[in-house]
Formats: sequence, structure tokens, C-alpha cells
Amino acid sequence: MEALLGPGGVLSDPEELLVYESDGLTLFRALADFVVFPRSAEQVAALVKIATREGIPFVARGAGTGLSGGCLPSEGGLVISLMRMNRVLEVDYDNQLAVVEPGLVNLHLSWAVGPQGFYYAPDPSSQQACTIGGNIANNSGGPHTLKYGVTTNHVLGLEVVLPDGELMWLGGKTRAAQGYDLVGLFVGSEGTFGIATKIVVRILKKPQAVKTVLAVFDQVDQASEAVSAIIARGLVPAAMEMIDQLTIEAVEDAFGCGYPRDAAAALLIELDGLAAGMEAQAERVLQACRDCGARDVRAARDEAERQLLWKGRKSAFGAFGRISPAYMVMDGVIPRTKLPYVLGRVNAIVAAHGLRVGNVFHAGDGNLHPNILYDPRKPGEEARVVAAGAEILKVCAEVGGSISGEHGIGLEKADYMPFIFSEADLACMHRVKDAFNPTGLCNPGKIFPSNKACVEVGPAYRPHPIEEKGLAQRF
Amino acid sequence: MPSALLDKLRSIVGAPHVLTGVDCSPYVVEGRAPEAAVFPGTKEEIAAVLVVAGEAGLPVTPWGGGTKMAIGSPPNRIGLVLGLKRLDRILEHEPGDLTVTVEAGLPFETLQAELGKRGQWLSLDAGASVRATVGGMLASDASGPRRHLYGTARDLVIGLTVVMADGSLVRGGGKVVKNVAGYDLPKLYIGSFGTLGVLVEATLKLRPRVDVDRLVVARFDRLKAAGAAARAVLGSDLIPSALELADGEALRRLGLGGAAALLVGLDGLAEQVDWEVAEIQRLLGPIGLGETTVLDGAVRDDAWRALAGLGRPGHERVAAVMKWAVLPTQIAELMEAGAAAAQRNGLVGAFTAHAGVGIVTAVLAGGTNPNAVVSTLTEWRALVNRVDGHAMIEWAPLAVKERVAVWDAAGPTLRLMKGIKERLDPRGILNPGRFVGGI
Repeated sequence: MEALLGPGGVLSDPEELLVYESDGLTLFRALADFVVFPRSAEQVAALVKIATREGIPFVARGAGTGLSGGCLPSEGGLVISLMRMNRVLEVDYDNQLAVVEPGLVNLHLSWAVGPQGFYYAPDPSSQQACTIGGNIANNSGGPHTLKYGVTTNHVLGLEVVLPDGELMWLGGKTRAAQGYDLVGLFVGSEGTFGIATKIVVRILKKPQAVKTVLAVFDQVDQASEAVSAIIARGLVPAAMEMIDQLTIEAVEDAFGCGYPRDAAAALLIELDGLAAGMEAQAERVLQACRDCGARDVRAARDEAERQLLWKGRKSAFGAFGRISPAYMVMDGVIPRTKLPYVLGRVNAIVAAHGLRVGNVFHAGDGNLHPNILYDPRKPGEEARVVAAGAEILKVCAEVGGSISGEHGIGLEKADYMPFIFSEADLACMHRVKDAFNPTGLCNPGKIFPSNKACVEVGPAYRPHPIEEKGLAQRF
Repeated sequence: MPSALLDKLRSIVGAPHVLTGVDCSPYVVEGRAPEAAVFPGTKEEIAAVLVVAGEAGLPVTPWGGGTKMAIGSPPNRIGLVLGLKRLDRILEHEPGDLTVTVEAGLPFETLQAELGKRGQWLSLDAGASVRATVGGMLASDASGPRRHLYGTARDLVIGLTVVMADGSLVRGGGKVVKNVAGYDLPKLYIGSFGTLGVLVEATLKLRPRVDVDRLVVARFDRLKAAGAAARAVLGSDLIPSALELADGEALRRLGLGGAAALLVGLDGLAEQVDWEVAEIQRLLGPIGLGETTVLDGAVRDDAWRALAGLGRPGHERVAAVMKWAVLPTQIAELMEAGAAAAQRNGLVGAFTAHAGVGIVTAVLAGGTNPNAVVSTLTEWRALVNRVDGHAMIEWAPLAVKERVAVWDAAGPTLRLMKGIKERLDPRGILNPGRFVGGI
């Protein structure tokens, strides 16, 4: 591998490997035998062939911002870091597409095409750090997926290294390749079908106008009902985010973004599109909120106020550092109309375990992010967090929802898959996996219920000082 | 078919729901009647039918409304047609969630009418036939002009229930609009033409109905100018729901007239649509915009329906229909080259395209001489493949399909596709021989 990659291309020193022992979910840790840094698809293919020949497990890794332990080398072996493959290879504005390498940071693509009036729509909150390759693995979402869809809705083609080392294209630049939708299958396969080495994505024209509205409620149920009311009035906002009281307190302590501290919940709603009709749509949104009992509704007066409101939302996770030594974020999804019921259950479950929870989430598409606050120094508290998290996901499953909306199953939720899938469902997925990854060496131990023998659990993550200052955040 | 096998099928679905002999004639595939047609009433009955078929090695062709049965390579044997028409219920519609769960045999137009009563719609285009079912549209990945803004089945399906070849019932996805738990199996089944399993239920994302919906027909005196106009619209602030490029022959067949046109779908609030109509005139005026008409109501619906029906067999001596997938910027030039190729073979080409996404419907007409048809289709495929595009025969007479491949030559991905097929349908009973690469 050193001969292939040259000096600095292979890490094997245990101290250096430590950096790669977890992703954004620090509850799980596993040490690789090697971390390697290819610079081309051909090098990735050669590495995969070496690993396959030697019978060594391997897993691709982007920025490591994942939240389910999906890129952990849970059975040891090779971590293939794609961070040196970070170029924008081609932008075709006329055909509204770009070809990028997997290690490209999500936001850097929007920066690259921004001057021409374009952007890349999927916007995970970690977009300043996470990579497009990682987004492919997890089918990542973000606040604006309510209107624009998740990663899979924006990917046209992938050059991939299959688990046996063969390099091939799935899809391409045109909309319809013939045969099965292998691109659709690959996106969201959490690195178990191979490694994407080139990615063709759609880029969109920036909207002509954007309007951001804040609605403040004295009861959480009122805010939940407003979400349904807005949808029922035929509006599809670009984003519709809910922030509860505990989160508002943390955000205001940390940044002072102008959210009222005494509110039970606030909705941050963004409309975008044509300038014509924007005022009329905003008025429909404001009226829906008032009808559901909003105490105060207002549109951001200018871009500065809009940015401040979004800062509060996007930095909320980091702000929890102000009020708790640690927290664990969940990622359940429920039908929108079940919001009032499920939020009540979430709060009751967490309280029953003697813990606190802050909810800040994508209300518009029912994607909950309960952040369970705890202190890892207190014996037994971490186990209670894990137990409460599992109960919350069970409730999501019971109301017809899902155990993950955008963070993936990874290691964390593999054992919860039976909450929503039957044995036959899982067997079918296994057969599909077998078609891509018959040796099982490509990212083993993920998605499917299995033992976690080689994975160390706890002690948990502690917020970094720069997170507490709101300069960085954990997503 | 052995009578013991027929008896088994009758005992599963009930004798009145098994057709044989001449009664099967409505279910002809590529000119051949099946050995029997069965119409199960539940997904459990479908599972039992597949188990019996598997044991007997009997090929099974799932059948919705039968409107896409012309797509595919001619099969070696037509065994059993498995009709879904008795599974036609709306199982769950919660307007506040903007989702609906339906059975696969539900006619698409019935669904749309029911949703309309509650101010919502499924943002797929109906196509030309009222017989189309939801399951059939998903299995064939059917789409129309409004895919420009609203995407295709892969963007709208959030959950699917499928009866696998071994009779097991498998669900992929779920009922929520955002979901990354497990592999995205619905993507695999959409467009798989019944080769991997029988779709029995689907959960779909819905949209609120729009206030205003218009169709602007912007005419140009040359196809190149209309192509440039499409690019101008794509580069502007406009947010059209559809952007169709049509050549003169297509316009003549549509009864719209003109040498070339851009058909722009605009929907939303009245204020938005009014602004967009004016903006189109401002934007396209300097690049040769000719006579422009704005259609609404029944006239608009008729125009869209006519467009969808342009390539239907029987429509003014249609000889064959091909679908091309290319880059948007390549469309106008390929249409012109395609028309010239048809002319060289003594035939006529009529072309429309989803100009923003690069899907061209190429209709061949003006004669049925098989040699001329084969030669034109072969030239068309070469034109499209040369620019890395894909060409697929959507409809052609059997005699032509025996001489020109329906699908492009399968590339390296065929081994993955075959690997999936072999693992999900190891006995090869589901629609064998009709799909890409002989799958």
C-alpha cells in the first residue's frame, strides 16, 4: 500500500489511528489497522483489490461527521479515507450538473457554482464539513429537503469501485440509464455496496426570492398543529423547523439569536421561489400560525435577521453544551400528523428515565431530533440514555414511522431494524447486499442486526470549547 | 397447461378468476396469448400463485392495465398472466401527511380523482390511457412532461410492498416522507418491469393542488431557435412545471401548427403564473418568439393528452416509437439528425422532448416497410449512443423487434443486475427474457 500511495499515504501508528476511531457519534469506537489516503479511483480500486486478496475488511470514510457509527472499522482492517479526492472535476451549467470527487465538502460545491447563480440543494447541517461521498453513503438530508428532496433525488451517476475492486459507472449524466436503478440502490447503502469515486449531481438555479418567518407558540401542540395547518393550506415551504423551549434557552444563552425564552416552541419557516406571489404565500403561512394560536409571528426584515434566526437553528446542537455536559441526538421519523402525540411521548419517556430532552428538528417532514442531555460522569446515566433512545424509536415505529430519517443505521441502530422490518424484509436486503458484496468485506457489521463485539462503547463525547462558542457544531 | 396446475390455480383464486383459451385474448403479449390468466383478490393469493408457478417453472407476467406491455424483448414463452385488477383499493389517505397508500391495481385516474376531492394530487402524468394502474406505472417507471419539476416515480414512492418470486411478502421503505433505514428497495423495483417481484402496495408522496395551471405554446420558425429558447428558460428565474420541445411534424400531429415550439407548463398562484407568462415573452421575444398561445382548462388538458398519445400505435400510421435519454443541450440537434435519417429511409419522424431533462420521444411514421423501419431505428440508436445517450424501443411491431434490439447493449453493470435477479428470482419465473440483457 505504501508503494501504491507513496509517503504519507498510509497510517499505521496507533496514535495516529486514534483520530479515526469514531465518527460524530462518539459512543462507539473501533480502531483500524491502517488508514489509507488514495488520490484517484484507480488507487481506490487497487486498495480494495489488496484488501480482498488479503481478506481484510475495509470501509470508506469521508469527513467522519456521520452520526450512526457507519464508517467505523468495527471488525478492524482498512479505513479508506477519501479526503484527498476533493476536486470539482466538471461543471456543466447548461445541463445543470457537476461531476465531483467523493471527498469534496458539501458546501464547497455550492461555493464553486454560486457565482454562476447555482447551488447544490441537499444541505445537511454539517455541510461545512461533511463530504458528498459521505452524503451518498447516508442519503443525507437537511432542512431544505422538505421541498427539494434528499441526496438521492439529486444524484444522476456514480463511478464506483465494487467490493471486488472492479471500477464501473452506475448511471451517468443522462436521466435514464437502462436496467435496474443501481444508482438509487447505491445511494444510502451506507458504504456496503462499494466506494463511489466520482459523483454526478444536479445543480439547481438559486431561487429568485427567499422569505423566512418565525412563529412563536405558548404550547408545543399549537406549533405541531401549525405544521399540519400550513401543509393543509396547500403550501410547501422550503423548510419548516421546530425548536422547543429547552433548546431556545440553550441557543439564547449561547448566541442570543432573538428567540423568545419563554416560548414553549418556535417554528422557523422558509419560503422560496418566485418573487411574484411571495408576499401572498407568506401571509398564508402567518395566518395559519395565528389560527393555531401563535403568540407572535413575524417575517425576518432583512438578510441579517434571517441569518441570525438560521444561526440559532443550525447551531442548536452545539448550544446544548451550555446546559449539559453531553447529549445524544436521535433521528426518528413520524407521519406529520402524529407530531403532538409523539412529542408528548418523547418528553414522557425521557422524564421517566430521569433525563432532560431538547427537541430541534425538521417538523415539516416529521423528522425528529430529540437531543437527550446527560452527564457521562454519573454512573449509569449513559445506559439510561441508550434505553430512552430505543424507546423513542419504538414509538416512532409504532405510529408508522422510521428509525432513521437521515443519519443512517450504521452500528448504532442495527439492532433496532426489526422495529420496522420483518425477517423477510431483512432477508431480501441481505440478498441484494450479497449481489454487490458477496465476501462481506466491504464495511461489515453495519445495518443488519449483529453483534458489536469489537466495538467499544462509551465514555461519551464531550463538546469541544469551539462548539460551546458556536463556532462549530455537532450534527 | 396441465389440468392439475389449473386446478391448483383455481383453488387459490377461485374458478371465476382463472381464464384460459380464447378468454385470454385480451392479455396477449407480443402477439401471443398466455396459457392462462389469473386474477387474485389478495396479496396472499398472489403469493400462493407464485409458489405454484415456481414449482411448475411457469413464467409469470404481472399485468396492471396492460398499457405498457409493448415494452420489452419478445419472450420465449408466455406462461401465466397475473392480473392485479382486483387489488384496487385506496388503503390509507391522510391529507395532513400528504401521503397515500394504495393497492397496485388501482387505476391511476381513479386515484387522481379521489385525491382531487381533498385538494391533493400525485404529481405523475397520466399518459394517454385511462387503463393505466398505479402499479403498472411504477413497474414501468412511467412519467410525462411534469417530471421536469416534480420528478419521477423514484422521487414520489416512499414505500412498496412486493410479493417475491418465492411467495414471501417484502416491504421496502415505509410510510414517512423521509427514511434512510435499510436499503432503498423501492428504487430497485421501480422500472424493473415485473422482473424482480409483483408490486402489490405502494405508499406515495402527494402534493397540494395548484391554484392555476396553464400551458404556454411558444412557436418558433426553426427547431434550433426553439432549442435556444428552452435553454433560455432553463437559465432564467422561471420555474416551469413542464418544458417540452416539439418539432413541426409533432405539432402538425398535435393540431397545434408551427415549425417548432416550446410548450411550457406553468402552475402556482395566479400572481406567479401571470408574471411567468409575461417573463416568457420578455425573455424569448429577442430570440425569435413567434405566435404564442396560452391554454387553460379543457383545452390545456386535451393538449397534454394529445402529446402523451403522440406515439401511440395506430396514431396516423405510427411505425415505431423510440425513447432517447440524452443531455438537454443535445436534444435539438439530435431531433434534426433523426428527422433526416427517417427521411433518407422514406419515412417521417415526429419528435417531442422533455427539454429540461433530456428525454426524447421519437415517433417513426409515414410507412411500415420493415426494412426502412429497421434501418431508421438502427441509425437513431447509433446517433444517440454516439453522444453517450441511451435509446430504447417503446413500441414496434414484432417483426421489427426481432431485428432491432429493444434495449441498448448492456454494459458492465449487467453482472450486477443479473446478480440481483438471480438472488431475488432464482428460478427465473418473473417476466423472463423481456428486460435489459435478456433478464
